[in-house]
Amino acid sequence: MRATEQQRELRAGIQAIGPAIEAGHIARDHSGTFSETGWKLLAETGLFGLPFDEESGGLGQDLVTTLYVLEGLGESCRDGGLNFSVSTHMVSAGVPLQRFGSAGLKARYLPGICAGTTIGAHAITEPEGGSDIMRMRTTAVADGDDFILNGTKAFVSNGPIADVIVVYARTGKPENPAGLTAFLVETDSPGLTRGNPIEKMGLRTSPLCELFLDDVRVPRRNVIGSVGAGFLVLDHVMKREILCSFVINVGEMRNRLERCVEYARTRTQFGAHIGSYQSLANKIVEMKIDVETSAKWIFDTAEKLAEGEDVSIDIAITKLITSEANVRTALSAIQVFGGYGYTAEYGLEKELRNAVAGTIYSGTTEIQKQRISTLIGLHRAVKPTKA
Amino acid sequence: MSTTETVASTIKAHILAEFLPGTPSEELDNSYDLIDNGVVDSLGLLRLISWVEQRFHVPLDEVELSPDDFRSIDAIGHFVEASTRS
Repeated sequence: MRATEQQRELRAGIQAIGPAIEAGHIARDHSGTFSETGWKLLAETGLFGLPFDEESGGLGQDLVTTLYVLEGLGESCRDGGLNFSVSTHMVSAGVPLQRFGSAGLKARYLPGICAGTTIGAHAITEPEGGSDIMRMRTTAVADGDDFILNGTKAFVSNGPIADVIVVYARTGKPENPAGLTAFLVETDSPGLTRGNPIEKMGLRTSPLCELFLDDVRVPRRNVIGSVGAGFLVLDHVMKREILCSFVINVGEMRNRLERCVEYARTRTQFGAHIGSYQSLANKIVEMKIDVETSAKWIFDTAEKLAEGEDVSIDIAITKLITSEANVRTALSAIQVFGGYGYTAEYGLEKELRNAVAGTIYSGTTEIQKQRISTLIGLHRAVKPTKA
Repeated sequence: MSTTETVASTIKAHILAEFLPGTPSEELDNSYDLIDNGVVDSLGLLRLISWVEQRFHVPLDEVELSPDDFRSIDAIGHFVEASTRS
């Protein structure tokens, strides 16, 4: 994309504090510690409110500008877990409130989300199934002016630190696209408990936990959108989750590429810089192609989405291409750095572990292929002819 | 044919072509529940909404969205008329 002066300034503001935010990221990865200091520094920049209305405390920027700045975050901050928590916070709670929330919900929660003082998360996946959301088992039953929520949610990113969680629950029949509803639930609600933070392979500085809902009473006014519109809320969120989360990965890939180029131009073996050897140069060229291809898909898809075009296939391709490119470039970087790349000290092995997560969350690579095959008509179900 | 009938007829043709290929037009009633009867599943709903947005220039970012508005040909027709009314 060709950035405007204002977009470049916003991005430069984030990149200027990148080193301060990422300081200590390798040690935090080792201990699995979320950076409260980094979070506060980012909050001071106004980043969390970037795409939200100014009357709610946001900066009122459009989707493409938001993505451009988030790419800058990924490029300047190597705490991949913190970066992931940032996009999770903005997209899981802020985005559905902005688009579907009532005036009352927006007034109550969006200012805190923009300021970073109210941390957001969402709860979709369940222990029995991740991608098969239409069969989720968590239920919400109307009771006067409230709904009563019961169920268990797995893999809730930001769960351990969240103040509010958007919980998706079944209010209708399984597999019915009108059977889901989104609820904004405060984490101090009676009956809501969080499991211990889950240790994981990568993104270790982004806390994750299970969520248990045992007769949690949620006011009807906390429904986001209308009852039965949860699937539409979720689709709106998932498109933006993929774009925001993976544009950060593009930034991280750019950072990785720059380090590899620099290393290949200075590291000498057998009397020549290692970048002069074609087999290694090609590896870095392939990294460059991966980065630029991913960036083009993300920004092209974002522009189409902003213009109201159907991006169902584009989103699936974008997610698949970028997440797989992230793994490839992380592995290539380790090869370029050789033994150093394999050590924890250089932080590259961490990036490979982080990258693997991207091929799983927001719909696995296999699910994206399944979606694409369905959308191009390879799995059209034969419906009853008697309608 | 009134505008309402034209809109309903356009929607019906699309539903038949995309979701019920081979079904005679007279067998699909305009009040038939497309969601509860499994004609339109979750991905289908998204495709249908996107088609409505493009075909009838409905500003989806500015209107309330509910699956109930896409349950039947009649419901979609009402939604289109209400959303595009100036």
